[in-house]
Amino acid sequence: MYLLTTQDINDLARELQKTHAVYGPQVNAQTGQVFFDLLAESELPDLDAAIPSMPVKEILFPQMERILKYSYDAQAQRVTLEKQYGEKPKVLFGLRPCDLAGIQCLDRFFLGQEFVDDVYLAHRRQSLLITNTCTRPWDQCFCVCTHTGPAADEGFDLDLTRLDDGYLVQVGSEKGQALADAHGWKTAEHRRLAEKAAVVDRCVERFPDQAKDNKAWISRAMNRITTGFVKHEIWEYIGQQCFECGACSFVCPSCSCFNIEDVTLCGDSCERLRTRDSCSFSGYTRMAGDHNPRAPVEDRRNKRFFCKLSYTQSKKYLRPGCVGCGRCQLVCPGDIGLPNVVQYIRRETTE
Amino acid sequence: MNYQACVCNLCGTGCGQFLKTDGTRVLGVAPIVSHPVSKGKLCVRGWHANELLNTNERITTPLIREDGRLREASLDEAVSLVVRRLGECNGAADEIGLLASARSSNEDGFALRRLAREVFKTHLLGVGAEAGHRNSMDSLSHAFGYPGAVGDLTRIDKADYILIVGTDIARQNPIIGGNLHAAQRRGARLVSLSSSRTQMAKLSTKHFQQKPGTKALVLNALAKALHALRTVNHARHADIDRLAGYTQYVNALRTISSVALENASGIRYEEIEEEAQILDAARSVVILFPSGISGLDKRTIEAICNLAVLTDRMDDPQSALIPVAGISNLQGSFDMGLSGEAGHSVFGSLADPDSPLRALFVVDHDDGIIRNRERIAALELVVYCGAFRNAFMDLADVVFPLTAYNESDGTYTCADRRVQLTRKNTDTPGAGLPGWRVYQAIAEQAGYTWGWRDAAEVFLAITDAIPAYHDLTHHRLAKGFGIHWDITAFPAAGQMKFHEVQIDYPKSPTCEEFPFALMVGKGRHFWHQNNLMRKTLIPRREYDQTLLLYPQGYVEICPEDAQKLKVKDKWLVHLTSSTGTSMKIAVKVSPDVQPGTAYIPYFIKNMISDFLIRYDNAFSAGEESIIPVRIEEK
Ligand code: SF4
Ligand code: SF4
Ligand code: SF4
Repeated sequence: MYLLTTQDINDLARELQKTHAVYGPQVNAQTGQVFFDLLAESELPDLDAAIPSMPVKEILFPQMERILKYSYDAQAQRVTLEKQYGEKPKVLFGLRPCDLAGIQCLDRFFLGQEFVDDVYLAHRRQSLLITNTCTRPWDQCFCVCTHTGPAADEGFDLDLTRLDDGYLVQVGSEKGQALADAHGWKTAEHRRLAEKAAVVDRCVERFPDQAKDNKAWISRAMNRITTGFVKHEIWEYIGQQCFECGACSFVCPSCSCFNIEDVTLCGDSCERLRTRDSCSFSGYTRMAGDHNPRAPVEDRRNKRFFCKLSYTQSKKYLRPGCVGCGRCQLVCPGDIGLPNVVQYIRRETTE
Repeated sequence: MNYQACVCNLCGTGCGQFLKTDGTRVLGVAPIVSHPVSKGKLCVRGWHANELLNTNERITTPLIREDGRLREASLDEAVSLVVRRLGECNGAADEIGLLASARSSNEDGFALRRLAREVFKTHLLGVGAEAGHRNSMDSLSHAFGYPGAVGDLTRIDKADYILIVGTDIARQNPIIGGNLHAAQRRGARLVSLSSSRTQMAKLSTKHFQQKPGTKALVLNALAKALHALRTVNHARHADIDRLAGYTQYVNALRTISSVALENASGIRYEEIEEEAQILDAARSVVILFPSGISGLDKRTIEAICNLAVLTDRMDDPQSALIPVAGISNLQGSFDMGLSGEAGHSVFGSLADPDSPLRALFVVDHDDGIIRNRERIAALELVVYCGAFRNAFMDLADVVFPLTAYNESDGTYTCADRRVQLTRKNTDTPGAGLPGWRVYQAIAEQAGYTWGWRDAAEVFLAITDAIPAYHDLTHHRLAKGFGIHWDITAFPAAGQMKFHEVQIDYPKSPTCEEFPFALMVGKGRHFWHQNNLMRKTLIPRREYDQTLLLYPQGYVEICPEDAQKLKVKDKWLVHLTSSTGTSMKIAVKVSPDVQPGTAYIPYFIKNMISDFLIRYDNAFSAGEESIIPVRIEEK
């Protein structure tokens, strides 16, 4: 446990930029919108910026990625394969705890099962995760309900908490420890932990007034969904509101579905593209022979909430699939972001 | 920061879109949270713009046809060829026609019009989807004094009463649909008038499901009930009764018979009277209707305008009347003067085998429908300009590569007159140029000096020439999210007038022999003839899956009719029209259509060319065109 000044933190970011691709929160000047994106040489992560508008998974699992190029030389009868993605080590500097939880979900999906996804692994293997404790919630947040914030408790390499007189830095991995040792950071006294707890408490206290957009009683909804107690009419009403845009999946830190397509380039070469996909699309569940187990829109729609909230799915992630970021609520042209669906289910329960 | 703000170019809503780009390639998309209309949302098209903008199917160099094949050429060579060959034609005698694109920027459109008039000297100028939008513009000009929306799209968020006439806006302009749904949830009364039960209708407070072809009648009946109510209540609303056309209008409304109304439209007058009470109590009213390719017919639009004027709510700061364009810059194309002139129609010239037309200059045409293909193929010169490869290239003698919407600066005017600026954020692959540069090069070669160095300078010329744009500049537009063009540039703005109406009770053209009223609508994953969406990955998959399920297209009928015909979903049937054309097509059984009606999305080529083409009004009357057909089990 160390105590660093803002200057130290900035120096660390600059130093890491020499050897790593450093990503961090930035504010778009024209719109005020926050993105977690690659920092240019002179840029520093803006640790006070709001929760990024798009999930950090963009760095590890981008919306569209060229993963392979292959070409066939007919004369020599030779096939050449080329890897298309880079492996430069990355630093995710200033992650919000909910986005870290999202990465943990993705890790379990891409790396933690029978098959390991090479592309994801390549991005993930050399990345350093530095989290930033939230000192205030934003309108959309409900991490207190999904146990993903406002402070991270595991999975980071370094964790920063802004205190009155500097940043408390906690170490979560050997990689993080190595960094600390190399810099000889000033150790923090034990009382700093109490200060951090106070910061977190203050943040939690601010939820009722500041995080007003979403209140999700997740545990209750999980129970209803798992036991299949949600009435068909509720799903139908939810399905009717789906405009089938796919946004909820694209912005969700824990949604992992993708589509692979080989696109022919000029001549004899081909590019393999991976793009994000969404269970809201009917082409997504269509099988060979035209059978679609989830043809009606409401069947597709409830799939998402099963995935985020049922026990069976949660066993896979070792936590609920929803990390409480509220993004799907913001981007949905219907009114069926996850926190709202939880509301619908809860309302039905109380009725 | 790799995220660059711009305007989505895939429909007339004009949503705020970030493109994630490294300057050479578009990597992703994000919505702009602070955009006043889209508010951080995008539809399936907008979210997949990155796929479109990454397609390999780009035109990257000028091409010239030689010995039947297109070969690469330099810009100079292509420009010289066009100037020389078009120089041999007499534009003033309608020998040269131009087809503009309603997706091009205002700068491109303005330059193209100048090319047509100043250089080619032709009046034959048109833009796809113009017939529908012209009806809207004419009717609005008559009723409100200027050719554009009354109010703007943000008023949906505050209005008391919202009426949507005849469009599944949830599919065609989904983000407007989302805002309407939000309005309904906050307590606005959302009323849909459409013959089939669209998603928007399902999300409405009230759905009037009228029989096909009777929207105008129902709207007039609503006006009658509203007027009657006000007469009884002695409510004097401003000076509505002094407006031009009032007496004729009100007298015509009085003649509406409840019985005839119900017979024709299937809707009871009492139901309409109840609705009129709610409408009367509303302080602000927003009315939306589709405009452009699937727009409404003239008499329906006039009925809408009349009703809007009669409500006497149109000057409320939360009221609006908006022709919702399906194509991004349809409104701007009209503002730039690209729509045809009376007596000179490109489409007419193409259809008429004896017209003097010898050459055609086409920009970014949607290739789903190339009407009059043989006529075009027989022309002496066809020039095609576009960003994406397209079936029209097969007909072209010269091809110019254009930039995509994020590859050059340009302004776009969306459905509600909001003019927004998109800045170049990515390099164009190959030698693509903004349209105005190509047209200027042609003009220069022909001996004209326009002297524009960038799009901002073209825009300056626009502000000089087009009064409604007089106070705009790129510099002003760069801040915030666009500015609505100035209606006060039209001297008649604010002087309301009624349209003359005739009450008729459309009888269904169906008969015993042809008992189904067939209507041409849109399929879910079919936009803009799919010229663009077919170049994406995910939306194309969604479209393909419709085609896989219904490879020959489909006709939607209700379960009762399916039972009567003894057919099931996906079974093939014979569809025969009253003029004798026929086709084989699959049935799609859907509870959302009324008994006795059949819907067909018009994306199947054979259908367009062989079946519908005889029905000229299927294109011009849009949603209101009805074809009597017989459906038989195969
Ligand atoms: S389901 Fe919605 S609120 Fe939950 S993590 Fe995903 S995007 Fe965030
Ligand atoms: S964001 Fe909303 S409308 Fe879009 S796919 Fe998800 S649930 Fe449907
Ligand atoms: S509604 Fe129209 S403008 Fe908005 S994202 Fe969709 S296609 Fe683009």
